Amino acid sequence: MERDGFLELRGVASRYGATQVLTDIDLSIAKGEFVALLGSSGCGKTTLLRLLAGFISPSAGEVKVRHRDVTYLPPDKRGMALVFQSYALWPHMTVAQNIGYGLKLKGISRTEIATRVAAMQSLLGLDGLEARKPSALSGGQRQRVALGRALAIDPEILLLDEPLSNLDARIRLTVRHELRALQKRLGITAIHVTHDREEAMVMADRIVILNAGRIAQQGTPEEVYNRPASTFVAAFMGAENVLFLNGAPQGDQFAIAAGPANTACSVPLLGRPLAAGPVEARFRPEAARLFSTDDIAVIGPGITFGGEVAAVSYPGGHWRHVVKLGDHEIMADAERAFEPGARVAVFVPAEALFLFGSPEAASASPISRAPSEKVHA
Amino acid sequence: MPKRLLGLLLVLPALAVIAFLFILPLIMSAVGAFQVEGAFGWGNFTKTFDLYTKDIIFTVVIVSLSTVLIGIASIAIGGYLTLGEHPVAVAILRWLYRWPMFIPFIVVGQILRTFLSKNGMMNNTFINLGLMTPLDAVSFLDWRGIVIAFVWKQTPFVALLVAGAMASINRDTIEAARNLGASRLRLLVEIVVPQVAMTLTVGLILSFITMMSVLSVPLMINAQSPTMLTADIAFRVNSYGDYGVANALGLISLVLAASVAWIYLRASLKERA
Repeated sequence: MERDGFLELRGVASRYGATQVLTDIDLSIAKGEFVALLGSSGCGKTTLLRLLAGFISPSAGEVKVRHRDVTYLPPDKRGMALVFQSYALWPHMTVAQNIGYGLKLKGISRTEIATRVAAMQSLLGLDGLEARKPSALSGGQRQRVALGRALAIDPEILLLDEPLSNLDARIRLTVRHELRALQKRLGITAIHVTHDREEAMVMADRIVILNAGRIAQQGTPEEVYNRPASTFVAAFMGAENVLFLNGAPQGDQFAIAAGPANTACSVPLLGRPLAAGPVEARFRPEAARLFSTDDIAVIGPGITFGGEVAAVSYPGGHWRHVVKLGDHEIMADAERAFEPGARVAVFVPAEALFLFGSPEAASASPISRAPSEKVHA
Repeated sequence: MPKRLLGLLLVLPALAVIAFLFILPLIMSAVGAFQVEGAFGWGNFTKTFDLYTKDIIFTVVIVSLSTVLIGIASIAIGGYLTLGEHPVAVAILRWLYRWPMFIPFIVVGQILRTFLSKNGMMNNTFINLGLMTPLDAVSFLDWRGIVIAFVWKQTPFVALLVAGAMASINRDTIEAARNLGASRLRLLVEIVVPQVAMTLTVGLILSFITMMSVLSVPLMINAQSPTMLTADIAFRVNSYGDYGVANALGLISLVLAASVAWIYLRASLKERA
């Protein structure tokens, strides 16, 4: 894979009026790679995709495809095709006309268009629907027509703007795999915008997480899931439980001091830039393990909190507990249910405990500012 | 009082107005078209076709030509408002194009009479610019004047409808075509106009019927023969008191207008199917 140079963004920024939508985006995408741009609404992911497609020009920076500057090229001269969230099928054209329109614009002969449209239809399972208008299609079929229209012109890069968000939950799961399989088969480079974490994880080779117009982290699904670079990424990737601890690095370990709810312990530092002092700890409900205080056992490196079950529910597969740790509440899953009011120990393994230095902790969560406010008061 | 009776009572005034001021006179004049000196017959129609066949054709040609030109002009205006990339030009056009809509037909006739005549402003301007000699100056106060007046007056109305419809189509459908390399003209013709076809048709049909019924423009601009049916009807009634032929002419106008309305109805049924 030509990691450097297939599709490159250098210092790309975009403004909308006085609002800075994107800042300093550097991204290098290899040929055949499936990249997911992940972020909550308003983070600039769609702007970035439209900028790649050529519908808007960046206020700074450049976009290159195969070392060729395409920053100010019109949309059709970039070898990219966009699949819209709304599908944007032309309601007055049939399925065949929709798929074949790009070929018609290229001046390809009518018979050639017909064969290529037919091939695209069978590739996407749209056989027999060529004479239908979009209004007579189901959501899944429309989505495939939109995909077929983009793929028909044989683009080098496929841009997908939340193409699955208008589908039923059940269809969406199968379409994910179909889309990914198709992309692999065609060897096409795909950039997929989504706000659905699971969708990004399942489909992408690489996930680029955007936050407030900047890249918060990029890496393989496994990397961003298990080694979040910031509290934002950790929270976005599901580590919603947040606690504040004190500790100090000791060699290649980080020693966590005993607190109101936790025992003293130490976890491997793993190269994290943690300084002595307060740290923000985050972990996922499913990473925690619950024990009744009687049969507590040390299972390995990790941290143990003592608390009391406040509520319990069954979302399916496991029991979810709201556990009160001092003045904080966290969520923790367990195979069996603990009664509300039961004293429990919450064990979080070292590899599932995400620690972040205090400056970030201070700016990331309003809760962390509470103590300093008390000092000033 | 029962509720249903009250409801009927409430719509009664409106119904009465329609019945007595619209349906009754319509039936009376339709019946009148077939009455010659108290007896039923085709007399009025034979007379009408003897005298006014040329005017019927003239009217149909003028109104049809105007409708086509209005269609083209309003697509051009709506298209530029939707696809134009120069924000200042778009803003100026948006502000300018509606003005003729607020000018009554009679005033349009008057303005164009002074503008298009042999010694009118248009010819004077061309002569002063050296584009034309005074000998070449011709009056446009004939069928061309009527067409110009109709197109000038009715384009803003259709453009307003069309531009509104164009503004409400899904922008993504335009961008999807741009993404595949469609030029501005193809975007307009192949993507935008088909999506507003119904609105355009409605606007053009309303314009067609409006133009069929305008009396002031033909009287102001083209008071010679052939002229439009409205002028003939006015002439039959005012000069001869000949209501029979006037009614026959009116019925012919109605048939012409109804045939266009029928096209619209058929198209809208097809769209719903």
